[in-house]
Amino acid sequence: MKRSRTAALLLMGTAPLLLTACDRNEAREGLYTSVEACVAQTNDSSTCNQAFAKAEQEAVATAPRFANREECEASYGKEKCAERSDGNNHSFFGPLMTGFFLSQMMRNGVAANGFNSAPAFRDSTGGWQRPAAGGASGGVYRGGTAGTAMVPINATPNRAITTSRSGFGRSSGSRGFGS
Amino acid sequence: MRRIALAERPDWRARAADCGFGFHTIDDAPYWDESAYYAFSLREIEHDIESPTEELHAMALDMVERIVGSEQLMQQLAIPEPYRDWIAESWRRREPHLYGRLDFAYDGRGPARLYELNYDTPTSLFEAAFFQWQWLEDQLARGQLPAGSDQFNSIQESLVEAFGTIARGIARPFHFAAVRDSNEDQGTIAYLRDCALQAGIECGTLAIEDIGISEDGRFTDLDDQVIGCLFKLYPLEDLFRETFGPYLPRSGLQLIEPPWKALLSNKGILPLLWDAHRGHPNLLPAEFDEGGALPRGWVRKPLHSREGANIAMHLDDGRELRTDGPYDGPCIRQACHPLTAFDGHYPLIGSWVVGDRACGMGIREDSSLVTQDSARFVPHAIVEEARGVLIA
Repeated sequence: MKRSRTAALLLMGTAPLLLTACDRNEAREGLYTSVEACVAQTNDSSTCNQAFAKAEQEAVATAPRFANREECEASYGKEKCAERSDGNNHSFFGPLMTGFFLSQMMRNGVAANGFNSAPAFRDSTGGWQRPAAGGASGGVYRGGTAGTAMVPINATPNRAITTSRSGFGRSSGSRGFGS
Repeated sequence: MRRIALAERPDWRARAADCGFGFHTIDDAPYWDESAYYAFSLREIEHDIESPTEELHAMALDMVERIVGSEQLMQQLAIPEPYRDWIAESWRRREPHLYGRLDFAYDGRGPARLYELNYDTPTSLFEAAFFQWQWLEDQLARGQLPAGSDQFNSIQESLVEAFGTIARGIARPFHFAAVRDSNEDQGTIAYLRDCALQAGIECGTLAIEDIGISEDGRFTDLDDQVIGCLFKLYPLEDLFRETFGPYLPRSGLQLIEPPWKALLSNKGILPLLWDAHRGHPNLLPAEFDEGGALPRGWVRKPLHSREGANIAMHLDDGRELRTDGPYDGPCIRQACHPLTAFDGHYPLIGSWVVGDRACGMGIREDSSLVTQDSARFVPHAIVEEARGVLIA
């Protein structure tokens, strides 16, 4: 088959194609350290349980891999790593899942069907990470890196006082700038 | 390759509204057109489109390596001096790229010929990746296409995979930006953002006009947060010459497409590719234009022009065509290889590369030899071949 197996949209279509301010609050996303914490927040124990189970299942496959315990603990902290093995009897070390990430689309304040979940890991500096979707395969780029890409969760943004705007965008085009 | 008339889905406008496809009709003229489709054999797709696309993409990346090592080539491509080191550095660091589109003249009767690379701000993406895909699924379900029909289109899957792969290399916060008043560009970034979200990347959108600069020369969003990475559906060469341009090299801002794409979205790449691969079946002869009259059999294109603007064409039969537009500056010449008419329409193949993978195709057809922003998007299908005969 030469076409995508599925092609779904998360946000497009649920909102008009307009800008920023109004399209920010359609996804409810949370990072939880336990199913209980998730239920307390969302009042949806079925989804929380499913999200936890799915995340736990993915944790082994998507966690970063280290050749030995020392390297893993250097990144994720003492006693935060476990030995694992892949299907071919190769063993390696990876961090233990310390939380899970749940995101749901909200429509009119009600959670829509379906959810995304992912395992979360806490590194030795206290920062949270989760694996990027699709990161393990990497086949779309030539010479892609091995292992799963980890994405920081809630990186603290840098702030700076803006002194001016509108320094981009004045070139005129007939109907847009794409080609 | 054939053009086949087919009844439209009765509910396609509702389908378009459901998925937020707002620009299917532009200025009262149809843009999405499913009153016909182009049928290809699997061999045509794999042998004539997919495999040349991957080969030309690899040749183009090799060429970047050569250009960044040469002041003279940078000069020839009219890259402004203050941006050259920054561009070269972005290549040395292999700053991640996302996508590109190669435009081919192809009619099923000879090799696809490369018209140009749209490697910085390619559009017609949502139509190709999503709405065209949905068209095929719907028409298959309605029994309007031969059973087993397929499409050269894993663009969306590849986009999600690509975002997932480069996620670690994307600085946060990550914003998608386009000009505020273009429905088409806004639709395209909304779609790309959707794909990034599906890959688990938190990101937002921003009008390109709303980008701010701080006292210490960093770029900010509307919340005064320093932007980590900006996907800009806005030409690099325009960013360079606008007020905030000079801040770019030292701002720490990561761009997608990255600065090195300025070398490939530039039509000067065409004579360089021809020079390095003279006689390649998928390339047309090309040279830098030194001015003077355009001889028969040649087309003149500015280094930077989009949507078929400012093209001069001197056909073999002596006819001359010229399109208007806002672009000037240095030009190239390319051997004239006119599009073939199908039922009076001139289809241009847009072959998509996501990451480094050739993964799909979209066709735009115009009523003239130069494909402009008046072109309509027409879907395609791969149909089964039996006993050497296309059934459709």
